[in-house]
Amino acid sequence: MRRYRITELVTLAAALACGEGSGPPAGPAVRIIMSAGDGQFGAPGSPLTVPFAVLAQDQHNDPVESVTVNWDVTGGAGSLSDTVSKTDASGIARTTLTLDSAAGPNSVTATVAGLTGSLTFTAVGAVEPVLVTSLPVTQNYGLHDQFIRDGLAFLSAWNSGVLIYDVGNGIKGGSPGNPVLVDSVTTAGGEAHNAWWFHNPATGEKKYLFIGQEGPGGIGATSSGDIHVVDVSNLNNIQEVAFFHRAGAGTHNFWMDEPNQILYAAYYNGGVVAIDVSGTLSGDISSRLIDTLSFGASNTYTWGLQLYNGSLYAIDMLSGLWQLTTNLGTLGAAGGGNNEAARYSSDLWVANGYAYTGTWDHFQRTGQSGSLLKIWQLNGSAAPVALDSVLLSNVSAVSDVEVSADGKLLMFSAESGPNSGFWFYSLADRAHPTLLGKYLVASGVHTATFATIGGRLYAFGAKNPGGAALIILDVAGLDP
Amino acid sequence: MRHRAALVLAIGAAVTSQAYAQRPSADWGAQAIPAVVTTNVVPGGRTASELRIVQPIAMLHVDAFGGRLRLLATANLEQYTIPNGELAPGNWGESFEDRRHPHTVMHELMLVAGGPALFVAAGKGFVPFGTDDPMSRPAVRFPVNHHLSQILERAMVLAGVRAGPAALEAALFNGDEPVAPGSWPSWDRFGDSWAVRLTLAPLPGLETQASYAFVTSPENQPGAGPDDRKTSAAVRWERDRWYGHFEWARTSAATGAFLFHSMLAEAAVTLHRHRPYVRFERTERPEEERVFGNRFRTRRPLFENSILGITRWTILTAGDAVDLGRGPLRCSPFLEASWIGIARVGAGVFDPAVWYDRGHGVALTVGIRLATGMRVHRMGRYQPEPMADMPSMHVP
Repeated sequence: MRRYRITELVTLAAALACGEGSGPPAGPAVRIIMSAGDGQFGAPGSPLTVPFAVLAQDQHNDPVESVTVNWDVTGGAGSLSDTVSKTDASGIARTTLTLDSAAGPNSVTATVAGLTGSLTFTAVGAVEPVLVTSLPVTQNYGLHDQFIRDGLAFLSAWNSGVLIYDVGNGIKGGSPGNPVLVDSVTTAGGEAHNAWWFHNPATGEKKYLFIGQEGPGGIGATSSGDIHVVDVSNLNNIQEVAFFHRAGAGTHNFWMDEPNQILYAAYYNGGVVAIDVSGTLSGDISSRLIDTLSFGASNTYTWGLQLYNGSLYAIDMLSGLWQLTTNLGTLGAAGGGNNEAARYSSDLWVANGYAYTGTWDHFQRTGQSGSLLKIWQLNGSAAPVALDSVLLSNVSAVSDVEVSADGKLLMFSAESGPNSGFWFYSLADRAHPTLLGKYLVASGVHTATFATIGGRLYAFGAKNPGGAALIILDVAGLDP
Repeated sequence: MRHRAALVLAIGAAVTSQAYAQRPSADWGAQAIPAVVTTNVVPGGRTASELRIVQPIAMLHVDAFGGRLRLLATANLEQYTIPNGELAPGNWGESFEDRRHPHTVMHELMLVAGGPALFVAAGKGFVPFGTDDPMSRPAVRFPVNHHLSQILERAMVLAGVRAGPAALEAALFNGDEPVAPGSWPSWDRFGDSWAVRLTLAPLPGLETQASYAFVTSPENQPGAGPDDRKTSAAVRWERDRWYGHFEWARTSAATGAFLFHSMLAEAAVTLHRHRPYVRFERTERPEEERVFGNRFRTRRPLFENSILGITRWTILTAGDAVDLGRGPLRCSPFLEASWIGIARVGAGVFDPAVWYDRGHGVALTVGIRLATGMRVHRMGRYQPEPMADMPSMHVP
């Protein structure tokens, strides 16, 4: 019995020894797989910090040495440290990409003669936006939105009201690098969520600021909050002069048809409303309602809307993107809807004949992770057509979307997750945005907007609590 | 400042009015419960199990002036044993979801002065609202309604009067709930919330209560959040071997925008060394967006007043505890099982069938309650002499 056991042990030891040191050599490489370096960011024109690396394996998944790997730049005008390299004893072959001197995507393909297929590494030459200012805002639910016009920033700071800063207007000598508080106003009920400063081309007045109040709501079902109208014609004597109330629903984002003096407001479970805001506004202006429209198969929870080329585009959390008709505020459904079922939709922006929309979710609707930027082609009077999407991992929401006035730069804010912050995409190909850069903010950015001040493009964003702040980035270098 | 001055004067008057002094007396007790819990009601549709030491507490009572001045202190060490909470489907509050949050280290620190007919109390503790803390009741598992039926760990000044079988208590306190186990109430918010409770004890062993509380911005410490209006009514019976309890609670949040109801009934009986118990609960809770990195936590500080929906939790819990120790260390092993049903209330985007990948499930807890010294007192009752002859639960 004892001899038998010893024999077994000896046999086992021999087998292990063979396995360690004197086994058969690795077979021919049957595949290569990515080992390192994919998906990096770097400054344009600079070498990446991590080389692209592939691992060659045989049929037993063992590494294969001395395999010749060919590297080719297939996107961008970057250069490689090695266009041909051989795998080392670990089966690894490497090359280092120096990024294209222009910001944008770069790609490099690895191939091995005799093997089918290839591997494509990507990297982005990103111009890091320059932080100009981080202006703390009271931690009283922080900052929700910002509206920038004529060098004035209207910060919707919840129960602290709307704070008006000179960021380049000149009235107080402020600038993006040195915002100066002009005044503030707290409207009835507080909960200031968003604002729109109405410039009336018919009268030349810049008298009214519309403020959206976001009251308590059950997402997808109920909402509350009025539109408050504030007279800002004298910035030293700001007063609330009127309000709009809709029973059973609360307001969210705005868009204005200023030439026709119509305020369009997303109203969550109330759909979309159109309000006549011509003339003098005073007291309860609920009678100014022109029309309202709800859509969606069973219910509606409308996040935002935008007027574009005579049509109104509305994004509904539950049913997706809609194209609506409007005839001086009289509303109708043209097409769309029921086109995003995996996630809940968030914000939208329409430009260049395309619509760009976001999603939020974090496993709520169908167990999806990450959030999408979706690209839609507008289709005349029919339904928008989904063309493409960008999946941003490690966030719960693409919370705000905007395209620069020149139509070349797309920005969205993201929150809740390691990739929270500002994200910037080139619209050189308007149907397929390509990543240009990012500015990460750990606590997340709830909303973001572009503004051109002194001929320079800035991004303004609402940094979430804790540490709520208005963040101003110089993004001129990103705008091609 | 005005509230603080009133507090000092009230305590001082009650104490100095005592013309006599007696030798102070003290009593203490401690407990801890090592327990294993397993459940299939877990975000992401998993089954999870864990071993934790829950409800580790130490209590101190000091009486002076013949009991007319008392100090009640309870230290809770959950900050150290369950810093990330206790696996408990349905439990919620203080940014935890489906995990019971750890309580603050200084769970109670109350100075009580006066006699049975008139008393005042001040310190940090349980607001005179609702029912006793679940820790002083038979089941180890906390009910879902903890944040609907109790208001605790607040800085408070309390006054109570008693006439025959009726007692009336009223309190001022700070509305903000703790944000972490080490946090203290916000002194600048003291007095922004109030509560009143009427208790009737018409028969020995029988106690009823009705209470109301207005709580300013409980979930937003700076005070920007919506207010709660809370109502509670309960009947409690404890006599000889028997214990029974029925309660109903309602919280109206954000001026009625959200309504949460709870109904709970529980009973226990002592059979020699065994103490079988049962609890049925039906409670609604808000569903908030979970943070990215942890599906058991929600965002704090809040920056919106929206919720994703309301769910109703129907839970039937049954268990048995065996009292093994009669010496200095009392040991009470227990086995507790729960059937858990989850349903949506009204519309909203939160769907338990997606979030938990199920509409009902089970939880099983096995553990041992270890205790020494005095028994766990009725947390939430500070009157100098107990009404209805029920000074403490018959938990070890």
